[in-house]
Amino acid sequence: MKYMLIIYGNQELWSSIDPAEFAKEIAAFDAFNKKYYDSGELLGAYGVADAAATKLVRLTEGQPAVTDGPYLETKEYLASWYLIDVDSEERALEIAADLPSAKSMPVEVWPILHEASRETGVDMGVV
Amino acid sequence: MTGQAVPEDLLRELAPQVLGVLMRRYAGLDSCEDAVQEALLDAATQWPAAGLPDNPRAWLLTVATRRLADISRSESARRQREDAVFLATPPAVLAGADAWLAEEAAGPRDSDDTLTLLFLCCHPALTPSSQVALTLRAVGGLSTAEIARAFVVPETTMAQRISRAKQQIRAAGAQFAPPAAAERDQRLRAVQQVLYLIFNEGYVASAGETLQRTDLSAEGIRLAQLLRRLLPDDAETAGLLALMLLTDARRAARVTPDGALVPLTEQDRGRWDRPLIAEGAALIAGTLATTSALGPYQIQAAIAAVHDEAASVADTDWAEILALYDLLAQVSPGPMVSLGRAVAVAMVHGPAAGLTATDELAGPLARHHRFHAVRAHLLEMDGDSAAAAAAYQMAAKYATNTAEKRYLNREGRRVRGH
Repeated sequence: MKYMLIIYGNQELWSSIDPAEFAKEIAAFDAFNKKYYDSGELLGAYGVADAAATKLVRLTEGQPAVTDGPYLETKEYLASWYLIDVDSEERALEIAADLPSAKSMPVEVWPILHEASRETGVDMGVV
Repeated sequence: MTGQAVPEDLLRELAPQVLGVLMRRYAGLDSCEDAVQEALLDAATQWPAAGLPDNPRAWLLTVATRRLADISRSESARRQREDAVFLATPPAVLAGADAWLAEEAAGPRDSDDTLTLLFLCCHPALTPSSQVALTLRAVGGLSTAEIARAFVVPETTMAQRISRAKQQIRAAGAQFAPPAAAERDQRLRAVQQVLYLIFNEGYVASAGETLQRTDLSAEGIRLAQLLRRLLPDDAETAGLLALMLLTDARRAARVTPDGALVPLTEQDRGRWDRPLIAEGAALIAGTLATTSALGPYQIQAAIAAVHDEAASVADTDWAEILALYDLLAQVSPGPMVSLGRAVAVAMVHGPAAGLTATDELAGPLARHHRFHAVRAHLLEMDGDSAAAAAAYQMAAKYATNTAEKRYLNREGRRVRGH
């Protein structure tokens, strides 16, 4: 069963962490990634850039129009996500709790329902 | 034979035999299994041009042994692993090899090798998904890429999972020997469960993509047939195989061409595979007539046989199914068994009685789509369309695959439309 673990970030909070502490935090995440890549359970780990670097694309009369944004009302927004493949929901929750950030921020655990085939784009029927 | 395709079945049938011989002589699942995989690859690339060797088994044994010597040479150079004493002295792998190779090439000396290998791959130190992956590679002879494709994970992830599983087996100190008598039954149950997981993974996946995926249902059946050949007197193994055959027989009717799910009660029974049903029904009938150890697979196969042999839902012997569920609840109690039983109760004693039977499951199965789907079905039978629609909606929320979710949403809309 595949799950997406999502953690939200707070730029203000991160900026306030001192560099030595921050390096330790990064090392803890690296160790987390290595641990679960090695166990064959982590399929991918991704982090997004600052919201200031994001763009919005919409089609206007068939033409893509690109603007800055979204302008988020909240301080906290999507920071990282992890795709895992595990035997049970219990195991997904256990891995979520092992995320270094779990001690300060909740981790969202989303079951994956649908995955498109690489060859045909058709739903693979995730089980 | 030149230019002929390599018979894949032959390679995969020989794979565990060759691995068994190597394991018996050298131990070290890591290196032996890698050596056999390389030999299989060599066969797949060389045989089409060179022709099928006179003795394919001997050919694979010889090549796998050479590959093992290569692996051991590079391993001992790195001195990183402690697979076995022989790794320190690579020439020892080939010393005297000719004599024993000739002896082993003559034919399977001991079919227990494959059984021992199955026990090892389903070792209790491993998680179920690792047991499944290792069994498919070491006993099934599938490549890591094929297994990864079947489970829709990256090949590197599957490679990691398999290599981790081998490390864990070594760390657990497992030997290439049959399990002790005291734990044999439990270990055999683990093997059966792994084979059932393999079958079920292929069966539950949406049908639109089965051609793209390695057919895990067929592989589960092939391995269950193998286990049955190894243990012809084991009733639960026969029950497991019968259950797979009787379930697989309904495959073509289970989904529409556009991938929508069709429940058992609405399936076109003309599309069921009659020869497969006959084979499964004969197997379970013969087993039940002589069994001295009735177990969950035998009972589930008996239930499947009653469904498969009925001409329609109305013609189904629901009293028999209810009796079998009562038996199953004694032998292997659990909420999913109780849920199946509740459906049978409804068919025998009416929907209200069925609903009452589901009440106690509201706690343990609150977040399971099947619980809500069964309740929706029974509420509809009972004439309560509004509650049925709500239950279908709840079921769709908790569905774990797209085909099921679409089906449940469709049912919800249909009931609301009344």
